[in-house]
Amino acid sequence: MNFEWSEEQDAFRQTLRDFLAANLPDDWEKFSEHGPASPALTAFARDFCKKLADVGLLFPHWPVEMGGEGLGPWEQQILAEEMWIAGEPRGGQYMNVNWIGPTLVKYGTQEQQARYLQPITEGKSLWCQGFSEPDAGSDLASLRTRATLTDGNYVINGQKIWTSYAGLADTCFLLTRTSDDRKKGITILLVPMDTPGITVRQIPSLIGEGDIHEVFFDDVTVPEGARFGDEGQAWEIIAYSLRNERLGIPRFTLARAALDRAVAMLKDAGDFAREYVRIEAARCATLCEAAATANYAIVQKRVDGLGVGPESSSARFATVMCERAVCEFVVEFVPEALAGASPYLKMHHQRGIVAGIASGAAEIQLNIIASDVLELPREPR
Amino acid sequence: MQLSLSEDQSQILGFLDGLTKPYASVPMHDHSLALTSGELDAALVENGFLDVMAEEELGPATAALVVEKLARLPFAVEAAASALVRRLIDPELPRPLCLVEEGQLRKPVRFLADGATVVVVGPSGVRSFTVSADLIGAPQEDTLYAYPVAFLTGLPDTLTTHDVDPAEITRAWRVALAAEAAGLLGAALQSVVTYVSERKQFGRHLATFQAIRHRLAEDQVVTNGVYWLAIRAAASGSQADAAMAALHAQEAAKRVTYDYHQFLGGMGMTLEHPLHLWTYRLKLLTAELGGRGANALAAADALWG
Repeated sequence: MNFEWSEEQDAFRQTLRDFLAANLPDDWEKFSEHGPASPALTAFARDFCKKLADVGLLFPHWPVEMGGEGLGPWEQQILAEEMWIAGEPRGGQYMNVNWIGPTLVKYGTQEQQARYLQPITEGKSLWCQGFSEPDAGSDLASLRTRATLTDGNYVINGQKIWTSYAGLADTCFLLTRTSDDRKKGITILLVPMDTPGITVRQIPSLIGEGDIHEVFFDDVTVPEGARFGDEGQAWEIIAYSLRNERLGIPRFTLARAALDRAVAMLKDAGDFAREYVRIEAARCATLCEAAATANYAIVQKRVDGLGVGPESSSARFATVMCERAVCEFVVEFVPEALAGASPYLKMHHQRGIVAGIASGAAEIQLNIIASDVLELPREPR
Repeated sequence: MQLSLSEDQSQILGFLDGLTKPYASVPMHDHSLALTSGELDAALVENGFLDVMAEEELGPATAALVVEKLARLPFAVEAAASALVRRLIDPELPRPLCLVEEGQLRKPVRFLADGATVVVVGPSGVRSFTVSADLIGAPQEDTLYAYPVAFLTGLPDTLTTHDVDPAEITRAWRVALAAEAAGLLGAALQSVVTYVSERKQFGRHLATFQAIRHRLAEDQVVTNGVYWLAIRAAASGSQADAAMAALHAQEAAKRVTYDYHQFLGGMGMTLEHPLHLWTYRLKLLTAELGGRGANALAAADALWG
């Protein structure tokens, strides 16, 4: 066992930091108050991701045969950490390189790969994931958006909700119901967002401008070739995708960076000598480090070729715990930060509320841990 | 970064599993508050498990793994201080090793017995002595901890002063505490998981009630965190890592001990179920090194000055 980064990994991290220093504007911290899905950050991300692509830093963890540098899971983790600490200047494009691209390679047809991979690798495309519905949140398998195959086309009717990036996305990774079988009746369609019949409505949110949406599908028609995988294969595919997605956002690094900022503010104010403040700060740091090591253990499994198992839900919940603790610490001891005194801490706090809700609610993670890590008997349905 | 067990580590833990198999369960009809075994202790010494830290290719991380695994046994064995602290003071110190905070002689001392080495750690340095019976209080019949404990009645006139940094010994002690707690937490969790997966009420296994499932799942999260922080702290030698590992261990211990007995219902009050053999060790570990507040302050000092 070795908990130290290698010289190559340290150098890779430094390369990223140098890139960020050279390519983020002077007012970036204020600018990053715009939510990750806001029009301003999305427009910035298109330019920023193209620059990342130009120097081989957009998807260096992809295999060489996919056009990447073949650097592997640890470098993906370092890339995600540095971007997230910086306020995620890739905007929604982080999804492309974390799981949409790899999922396209694993399950997509040649035509789909030819159509969608290049824009991803050029830093041009933005995707949204059409998963949740008004009556299918944590109980995702109860989704009802219907796709009916007629004369070589799927006709889609239904509604999605909480869809991040939908307002500006080019393509939707859409879950639809093609038969009544609860899980085996779900099929993925890749739907261009400019297809007639799609209506997007922004939902004002605590996260920031433009982050979450309702998306309505009224007789939206796409060719059969838009189907991703086989009919009924969606559950298998999204299980693969979501495990990558849950690891894709290293919130613990931003939480830890936010904590350090808060401590610096307290020191400046002469308020960090009080023991109860120091004790709480240490608790927060400990939760951040516990989340980090839990996540790193999962990355190691990927390195070892073991795949990401249900332990990823444990790492994810550890991340929720540290995110909440740091948010509470800031509110309790540095309340001025959220009222204009620190754009960085405000940005962290806005995004922190998402931690236990998005990508599968924290309670779902607990269910997975109970059933698949602890192997407790399942709840009756 | 390489978080998989090395081949050597896997082999050592495998050997340890084999060696400790006779001690992996509670002897039939034994309802002791604490279990100890001289044979187990001797076997660990004889096979060098408490000295793995000295091997260059193994080091303190492997020692922490050994301590974690041993703590999972229902038998309490003095391994943590010997495996992770002794070598930093004097590898020849006789065992068991009893670590005592300077100025805290009122506290119960784990494994204190005639002939043990007591190490007093504090601001004035690191000093030790071989304890004799006249410095040990009368046997405590009413102790509630699942360790053998006794009290020092005082210190001898002369102690051996060791030329080591007390901060470094305290760091290693924190690692030892965290590694031992990690094993205790893991074993206690597994014990409760087994019980609630078998026990039925209202026609259902207790484990199917979400009120229990979610709490156990959260306990798995913190237990996993204690394990990784302990091993990392052992490997890194960092003051901050050690203090955070000890803090997380004590936070986790406080969190789970009452919950676990609660989940066992009436059985949680008995000595018939072995849960106390882990939880009532955890309870005493929460009192070590000043408890959560002191370890949190140590972490804050190391992290932010």
